[in-house]
Amino acid sequence: MAFLFWRRRRLPLLALLACQLCCVPHRSGAEDNYTESRAPFLHNIPLHDAQGRLITPPDLLSEEGKPQEPKASPYSPAQTCGKCHDYEAISQGWHFNADVGTVKPGRPGEPWILTDPPTHTQIPLSYRGWPGTFKPSDLGLTDYEFLTNFARHFPGGGVAEPDKINAGDREMGRMLITGKMEIDCMVCHQSAGRYDHEARFNALKAEEFRWAPAIAASLGVFSSSRSAASIADSWRPGRPPPSTLPAIKYNRACFDPANNVLFQVSRRPRVANCYYCHTSQTELGDARWHSDLDVHLKAGLLCVDCHRNGLDHAIVRGYEGEAKDRSISDTMIALRTALLRRDNAALSDDAARDLARRQLQSEAGTIETLTCRGCHTSGRLGSPPLLHKGLPPIHFAKLSCAACHSGPFPAPQPQVVHTSLAHKLGLPAHTRGQNTAPVILEPVFLRGADGKIAPFKMVWPSFWARLNGTNLTPILPADAAKTVTLPQPSGDDAARDPYQTRPLTDAQIQQALESFPADHSKGDPVFIAAGKIYRVDKGVLSSREFPAAKPYAWALAHDVRPAAQALGARGCADCHAGDSPIYFATVAAKGPVEAKDGLRRQMWQMRGDDKTVASFFAFTFHFRPLLKTIVFAAAFVVLGVLLHYGLRGLGAIAAWLGGAGKEQP
Amino acid sequence: MSRPFGKLSYAVLCAALAILAATGIGTFALGKAPMTHWVLMAHVAVAPLFALGLAAVALTWADLCRGGAPSPLNIPARVLLWVILLCGLVVVLSGVVPMTPLCGTDGQHFLYLTHRYAAIVLTAAVLLHWPALARRK
Repeated sequence: MAFLFWRRRRLPLLALLACQLCCVPHRSGAEDNYTESRAPFLHNIPLHDAQGRLITPPDLLSEEGKPQEPKASPYSPAQTCGKCHDYEAISQGWHFNADVGTVKPGRPGEPWILTDPPTHTQIPLSYRGWPGTFKPSDLGLTDYEFLTNFARHFPGGGVAEPDKINAGDREMGRMLITGKMEIDCMVCHQSAGRYDHEARFNALKAEEFRWAPAIAASLGVFSSSRSAASIADSWRPGRPPPSTLPAIKYNRACFDPANNVLFQVSRRPRVANCYYCHTSQTELGDARWHSDLDVHLKAGLLCVDCHRNGLDHAIVRGYEGEAKDRSISDTMIALRTALLRRDNAALSDDAARDLARRQLQSEAGTIETLTCRGCHTSGRLGSPPLLHKGLPPIHFAKLSCAACHSGPFPAPQPQVVHTSLAHKLGLPAHTRGQNTAPVILEPVFLRGADGKIAPFKMVWPSFWARLNGTNLTPILPADAAKTVTLPQPSGDDAARDPYQTRPLTDAQIQQALESFPADHSKGDPVFIAAGKIYRVDKGVLSSREFPAAKPYAWALAHDVRPAAQALGARGCADCHAGDSPIYFATVAAKGPVEAKDGLRRQMWQMRGDDKTVASFFAFTFHFRPLLKTIVFAAAFVVLGVLLHYGLRGLGAIAAWLGGAGKEQP
Repeated sequence: MSRPFGKLSYAVLCAALAILAATGIGTFALGKAPMTHWVLMAHVAVAPLFALGLAAVALTWADLCRGGAPSPLNIPARVLLWVILLCGLVVVLSGVVPMTPLCGTDGQHFLYLTHRYAAIVLTAAVLLHWPALARRK
């Protein structure tokens, strides 16, 4: 880990000098001063605010002897951590670059799902443009609205940290008050278990973006009774923001006499830190204790042992073929170029850049050894070698590793899974249940881009919209709530069913569609749910399958089950039987509608396989024992004949040789 | 040898081999290996017939082809029969052993290649055996 030997015990004069030097904000070009040891550097460091100013809480007593509150500007991770770690390079990372158009989207991953139970809305969103998702802008959702929905599990950076804030923009202009949402390094790297996600969530809900890192790190609290959102509400676009904004009331105990703060951090984040955003749970509620978790974690590995990254935070996602999807940022090339030119002054800038690019591409190629197959064939990290006794090699051409080893063991129906991003796991709430929106199912066995069968998670979009010809315009929940007449839950319902999971009946859908203002220029009102489009034509509700209603699916890879619990460990019939889930499990489209006439598909249908082939092939496995018996018996006979005549031939040769010897005296 | 039974065994062997070669070597020659779906099922379905035919040929033809035996067969026909039996044994074992939990991935792959190339040699041996049979001693 690279650590800066930042002076921790500076003299006040030096602090003053540093303060002056730091007054010019900078986000990149961290100081070139590293420990480069595997021993962690003790991060007892000074805090800096967004302007780069040293944070020094006032003394307990003023010069006049009056008590003073320890109020000061909120600390800025970009300025504090960025003193040593190149924030600009880090901000290119996979967790922060979704909106960067030049970044290849790679294999479709988990989307953000805009979920609103009262309007029965669940829309998969992604800035990456994964097929089947909507870009927020396609829905008319601004970046700021995106943040207000998803900041709870968003690490900052990217859309949350625009280069410029347009003061005339009604929404983004609020960031003049709320601050940008910088990358909060502590979300991932704090190692003491003292990061308060709930406090961060509450701060972000109140749009206290610039204050959230300090609040979440338990360094202090928001000092005003008015929230940042409330202050921003009273601001008018185009006007300058208030000259004074609330401070953080710091916890004095966090500061040592030299005003340094101890951050207990680790370059290799704890598993628990990853789990805050990447929990995926099929054993719901109290059944969680049945979960064995991922076998790799049980073996003592960390998530980041496989999902690694360098300074650029381009996390290895771990799928086969990922190397060709990776982008090498200009920042990383510039950093490497500088290093190369330092080591070889004779290199021209162009030659160094070319060499840097080639080196980085070559390094990116090694990430294939961090896939399941790569690790278990190379033996990295002590991984057990692949055995697969009795499994014909054709399976490796047809199936991904995850098909047999990942996710819950396949059952006649896929299971409901809750994820952190979709169900706000990690934040206290009412117990989430089977029908808590969005309903996501796993494992659904589909073919990936490489043609191999793999397990996927699947969610069906659900939203009100207007259909004009073939042009479908979704209506955002806030607008739908104003436009559509929807059944209101009673007080009892709200208490008993806080997630409003009661499905809509056909009559309720029809009533809602008929409540849309008649404006045919915008198109006909429709409802998308559970794989279908619902519309009213001449007073009759009809539904049919519709392209935009198709489910969005993304590959799952965890939790990994051990070999003894893999699909096929119990024999061929795990897959090659007339009722094997990988072919014949039924996937019922899930959405906020009654399931009576919902879409149902078997796995083979989802993949476009041939049922007759699958069924007949499974049927032939009834005769496998007979086949083996016949073939082994026949082989035994042939072997016996060959041995018999072979031995006789040997005997004849021996006799001949013996006889020939006797003839010679 | 019981002549009718020997001829029947040989006919069964050749018929089964024709189907196996068409499905197996044919798929390989067309560049679509490995076999899947109906082709694979046809291949596997005929395999026991081939194995039985091979065993029957071994029992009924071996004595005719042993060295020094009075036989109407010429030397190439005798030698080729032993090649057929040997390759046939390799082919059936390399076909059925992968269905047991004896071999891991490397072993399976080795058996797969062994099966393929032994089958090619076997087919060639049978094709050469016919003209050799026609030219009796």
